[in-house]
Amino acid sequence: MTSAGTTGSHKAPWIWRALPLVLAAAVLVAMPGLLPTFMQRMMSKFLIFAIFSISYNVVAGYTGLISLGQAAYFGVGGYAAAVLMVRYGIDSLWVTALAGVTLGTIAAAAVGPIVLRVSGMYFLILTFAIGRLGYSLTWNLPFFNVPEGIQGIAGLPRPNPGIPGFQWTELSFYFFVLLVFALAMFLQYRLSRSPFGHSLQGIREGEMRMEALGYNVWLHKYLAFVIGGAFAALAGVLYVFMNRFIEPADLDIMRSFYPMAMVIIGGTATLWGPVVGAAAIVFVEYFSSILVPQRWPLILGSLFILAIMFARKGLAVYASDFWSKAGAKLWKR
Amino acid sequence: MEALKLDQVSKRFGGLHVLEDITLSVGEGERVVLIGPNGAGKTTTFNLINGQLPVSSGRIFLFGEDVTKLPVHARAQRGIARSFQISSVYPNLTVLDNAILTAHGLRRSRFGVFRSVDAYPELMEKVQTALDHAGLWEERHEFVKNLAYGQQRRFEIALTLAADPKLLLLDEPSCGLTRGECGDMIEVINTLPRGITTIVVAHDMDVIFGVAERIVVLYYGKLLADGDPATIQADRRVREIYMGVEEGTERVGGF
Repeated sequence: MTSAGTTGSHKAPWIWRALPLVLAAAVLVAMPGLLPTFMQRMMSKFLIFAIFSISYNVVAGYTGLISLGQAAYFGVGGYAAAVLMVRYGIDSLWVTALAGVTLGTIAAAAVGPIVLRVSGMYFLILTFAIGRLGYSLTWNLPFFNVPEGIQGIAGLPRPNPGIPGFQWTELSFYFFVLLVFALAMFLQYRLSRSPFGHSLQGIREGEMRMEALGYNVWLHKYLAFVIGGAFAALAGVLYVFMNRFIEPADLDIMRSFYPMAMVIIGGTATLWGPVVGAAAIVFVEYFSSILVPQRWPLILGSLFILAIMFARKGLAVYASDFWSKAGAKLWKR
Repeated sequence: MEALKLDQVSKRFGGLHVLEDITLSVGEGERVVLIGPNGAGKTTTFNLINGQLPVSSGRIFLFGEDVTKLPVHARAQRGIARSFQISSVYPNLTVLDNAILTAHGLRRSRFGVFRSVDAYPELMEKVQTALDHAGLWEERHEFVKNLAYGQQRRFEIALTLAADPKLLLLDEPSCGLTRGECGDMIEVINTLPRGITTIVVAHDMDVIFGVAERIVVLYYGKLLADGDPATIQADRRVREIYMGVEEGTERVGGF
């Protein structure tokens, strides 16, 4: 299941096809060291949102479950890490990250049976409602020992990786995020190529047929939803590590909408779609807010409309099509 | 052993009796053609057998096991494969991807995440055999939407084969085909492995008499006749209600 690409007879050598990957890796590894610290932070943010977008890509892109509540699991992961740090004084990176991802996954596992009773538009509304529930819960969390409510939890420490004498810098944190991102991309790659991943795409294309083939459609959708929750929680934990602050707005509808917009702009159900989309939105948002402080959402909105009108399949798809066609042309003669 | 047994199966939609008291048993390896005028309940029978619809009463046995309460996928796991009246392969996937997806359906590997879909050698062999059978191995990298219609229909059958079925349900496999393509289709059905019990819903006379070893006639939800092709052809009631109309000969009787 390659993205709409050329199945043609003229295939460029592997070196040409691997070049974009090598270039992307080179940029991600080498460039941040040359950037000012605030840009290093933007790079971290970009990768964290790319992971968050992978969550949406698994649930909506591959499986076709249009969810508008992914921020709930992002938020559970983030809040779990934050509460452990400020209330229980546990600042270990490994403990907080593990707890955050586990709790976020459990939350998705608990919500799954409720939302998967319906499909299509009703699924969207129900996931939205449950996301909304998560948002309102954060307003009033005294029983979880979080009395801040709407103010959010501020002043979080950097997590302690347990290496003696280690000090976080923006750059070392970026590389940590890059490592986690590479792992997430690898998992997404394995998933999209595996029988299980293909079964999800089959379900997206037609549930009835998959049932007739012997697939337990409900179970596969549920597993996809839980996997999506795990990716979202992972992004939420990293976000708290980076931001050192979390507030109810991080579970808001807008937060759920981000990965959706990123995946649509980048390319639904493609490997690199979430990454390209996350880069586009994070950086356009950043630079437009500097250029036109009051009106930046206009620019972001226009980008979204233009992408929908002229790049339906997503930027990543067009880029990869262009690349393979260029390669085919080059090696034809 | 009986591959399939319907025991007094009825299906009602509210007050509408779509199937009434159908009792039918099909032996292992039999080739049965199910016929009847529109609305006779042929597709509904398939839907009951593979679990798409629950029965209103009666029981369904598959190889001696009561499957009446099992969901669709559980029955598929027990060997029922089905092609649909409306082509329902995935048009945006390649021939090969479609076949691989089908082949994984009945295996533990459908939950696999550590290996690529095509990294299962014995499964790929099965896929190749199935595609060869339909003469489509050469087209394996083509998107299904780009296949000719006749090829798509043959491909559907090839797909059901990839799942290694025990009981094959084919719903109007010749629907919309030209005469030549129809001949190919009959060929594909007739060369199916003998071990596969096959039930075909058909309207086309070429298909009916081209593949049937036994014909079952449904008429407004009731089982009207059941026998070998010659018996059915000679049956007066069948001629009246079905063949007489279908062949355009003089109508006998009052409908």
